[in-house]
Amino acid sequence: MAELSFTLNGQTQALTIDSGTPLLWVLREQLAMTGTKFGCGMGLCGACTVHLDGQPIRSCSYPAEFVNGKNITTIEGLAPTEDTLHPVQQAWLEMSVPQCGYCQSGQIMSAVALLKANSSPSDDDIDKAMSGNICRCGTYPRIRKAIHRAAELSVQYYQPATTEVGAES
Amino acid sequence: MSKLTTLSRRNFIRVSVMAGGGLLVACGGGSSSSNNNTGTPPNNGGEPTSPAEAFQVGEFMRISTDNKITILVGAAEIGQGALTAIPMIVAEELDADWSQVSGELSPVAANFNNPYFQNLLQFTVASSAIRGYFEGQRSVGAAVRQMLVSAAAKRWGVDASSLRTESSYVIDDIGGRRASYGELSSEAAQERVPSNPSLKNPADYRIIGSSPQRLDAAAKTDGSFQYGIDVDIPGMLTAVIARPPRFNGQALNVDDNAALAVPGVRGVYTILGGVAVVADDFWAADKGRKALQIQWNELLAGRTDSDTQRNAYNFRLNLPGVPIRSDGLVLLAQTLASETVSADYYFPFMAHAAMEPLNVVVDYDGSSAEIWTGTQSATLDKIFAGLILGLLPNQITFHAMPAGGGFGRRGNPLADYVRDACGVAKQLRQPVKVVWTREDDMKGGYYRPAAAVRVSASIDSANNISAWTHRSVTQDVTALLYAENLLDSLADFTLPPLKELTDFETGMPYKIDNVLMDAHLTVNLNMPALWMRSVNKFSDVFAQETFIDELALKVNKNPYNFRRDLLSEKPRHRAVLDAVADAANWGFPSSGRSQGIAVMGHWNSFVAQVVEVSVSANRELTVHRVVSAVDCGTAVNPDLVIAQVESAVVFALSSILFGEILLEDGVVQQSNFDDYPVLRMHQTPAIETVIVNSGNPVGGVGELGVPCVGPALANAIFGAIGERIRELPLTRSNFKIA
Repeated sequence: MAELSFTLNGQTQALTIDSGTPLLWVLREQLAMTGTKFGCGMGLCGACTVHLDGQPIRSCSYPAEFVNGKNITTIEGLAPTEDTLHPVQQAWLEMSVPQCGYCQSGQIMSAVALLKANSSPSDDDIDKAMSGNICRCGTYPRIRKAIHRAAELSVQYYQPATTEVGAES
Repeated sequence: MSKLTTLSRRNFIRVSVMAGGGLLVACGGGSSSSNNNTGTPPNNGGEPTSPAEAFQVGEFMRISTDNKITILVGAAEIGQGALTAIPMIVAEELDADWSQVSGELSPVAANFNNPYFQNLLQFTVASSAIRGYFEGQRSVGAAVRQMLVSAAAKRWGVDASSLRTESSYVIDDIGGRRASYGELSSEAAQERVPSNPSLKNPADYRIIGSSPQRLDAAAKTDGSFQYGIDVDIPGMLTAVIARPPRFNGQALNVDDNAALAVPGVRGVYTILGGVAVVADDFWAADKGRKALQIQWNELLAGRTDSDTQRNAYNFRLNLPGVPIRSDGLVLLAQTLASETVSADYYFPFMAHAAMEPLNVVVDYDGSSAEIWTGTQSATLDKIFAGLILGLLPNQITFHAMPAGGGFGRRGNPLADYVRDACGVAKQLRQPVKVVWTREDDMKGGYYRPAAAVRVSASIDSANNISAWTHRSVTQDVTALLYAENLLDSLADFTLPPLKELTDFETGMPYKIDNVLMDAHLTVNLNMPALWMRSVNKFSDVFAQETFIDELALKVNKNPYNFRRDLLSEKPRHRAVLDAVADAANWGFPSSGRSQGIAVMGHWNSFVAQVVEVSVSANRELTVHRVVSAVDCGTAVNPDLVIAQVESAVVFALSSILFGEILLEDGVVQQSNFDDYPVLRMHQTPAIETVIVNSGNPVGGVGELGVPCVGPALANAIFGAIGERIRELPLTRSNFKIA
């Protein structure tokens, strides 16, 4: 057993876990954050993507004890407030991306990380950043459009306001 | 049931006042009430009902006094948008304010059965959700609208014909007044249910044909949408099941000492399908499973071997099968032909690989059960659960959950994953979530069956095709049900006729006088196979549409014109073919690229597709563009139709490029997305879709975009490098996928 303490979506969490338990299961089962999904258990599909200090990681194959003292952001912590959306989520809605929706939390977390590193990604940049996320419903073309749209929205979103964005900035 | 009034032969609706006002519309009827349950609707106030009555009548629609409308949907939501499109149909005839409409998945009850399957069961396969529910849902919406109008007419003392409805209001233009449906709902509930409500002229549709956003879109972007795998109930344990390495193997000796020593593991239970490890959480269960030592009895286990099976199938291509279609005199035409050519094709087993791994939550206490699972086949799942748990239908509350993909895998008439979970719960008698890992799913069977196909064509002296034959050898995914009479013990339940379920014909559309299509439907009890998105059309249309291309070139015709000429009596095929040729700029591909085309009709819908590819000198294949033209009669929500076609194109490309489950001596060789790759973002072409609205009755669209992608792609490859593709996936032919 191991003691674990980290910040999840801006809130400190302290709990006891079985050593070696992947972060995904701690999030889903112990902390009831079920927006992050189990897809493959090997970091191959990206459905479990969360941010560790702002960087995307595959939580299904990331031992939870390694996040001690760090900041984790999940899909639930992305929107700045309860009744506003992150620009990437907004773009996802505008482009009607989700079908079954199961992979979308992971897709959105990957897209947010991409836009943070590259505020105006090309199609090639998008391919590189998003090819670790599988969607069996085939929403890729809409994801691509939504990322371009989110880049536009982010300009409006990040520039005028000086407020904190998300829990991870 | 005093207020029960016949609406149509199959739909009975019942309207009552909700507690605290509002209107509750319930549906009764169907062929049987024995597999109903109350579904514990949250607002089931209404008039006092006896337990028996509540049991027989399922809630269908709620109009609350604040003018909000909730519509319950009997079809599964597997990503295709049924939870949006079906409420749209009701809202159209109801003249509802769409912004105040929401959808909920219905309880499992006969009143929600799919009319496409003769109202026998809730079953969302064969692209049948909209096709099945369309007419009935319109009638219900129209009936309730008429009742609201009658109520307003009475309130105002005017003639109902002087009133109109719009956006959830009844409007009296002459009197200059209006009342919301919510305000009128209690009075409307007293009105007689019209038995034959008049339906709108399609020209007057305001909601059908528009593309409002999916009702579930927001919850699917903020992580709040609940799938079966997210269900959590107090005291729930988690189980994983060790399954035999070969199908239908049985656990002979289980050494569970090491498994039970894993912290968090609560128990190990042998069930029919394997050995379940039950633990406090997933990780402990999975560790426990790895620690199990199991000796399997494999005397009767499956020994399917991909190579051996391929040889056997190829041999059977030489033998006549069961006729599916026979026009004219093929033998005579072949004898008289100047030439008869043929080609053989082969397609391997493929896994559905939906993103949400299979999972079931069962809370069984010995006398009743509550079950949650993402399913396309809720009725049969519930029946099997009852058989295994020894419960009557009214002792089981079954929650059909929205699923993270289905593609047919969640529509298993044998209910494999529900049976497994019930087997665990029966011994455990404590709430349990059975979770499949990706590996469990990949190795767990119920694949698209392998298929061999032979097509031949005879060409007469005038260069016309005088005869066409098409023979398939594949596994019948439904024969098992009928052969085994598995459902015999289920009182009061009949399956739809085999023909409805197998749906095997390809609809070969070309004007050819002599046609013989036959099939060998093999039964292999030890090799679980199941339908997968577009079923046999994936393989049969591949053969048909690549071979027709070969014939076109053989008689020196453009593949588009050749098809067009042969479709002179098929206006809807021709229309989509013309539309796609136009949209894709057929005949003028971008430099360095090659185009291929294909067309088909099925599910009461029609599709033609053009694929543009390039192939480098070292066989690196790039799919640049896929253009589709579809005619689904009436598009309820055109953007959902387009999304389904985009989805189908990507799904088809995964199968065409990579999809292959290989068995060696009964053991599945693939396990996860590393050795069973699927299409990723960087491999996805530009996808354009044109809807060619014919105004015909609604057709299915969930599978429509799949079958033509393969042949159009193969035809484009021929154009690029002059090589014919006779087997899938393309990685078998040493293409590298860019």
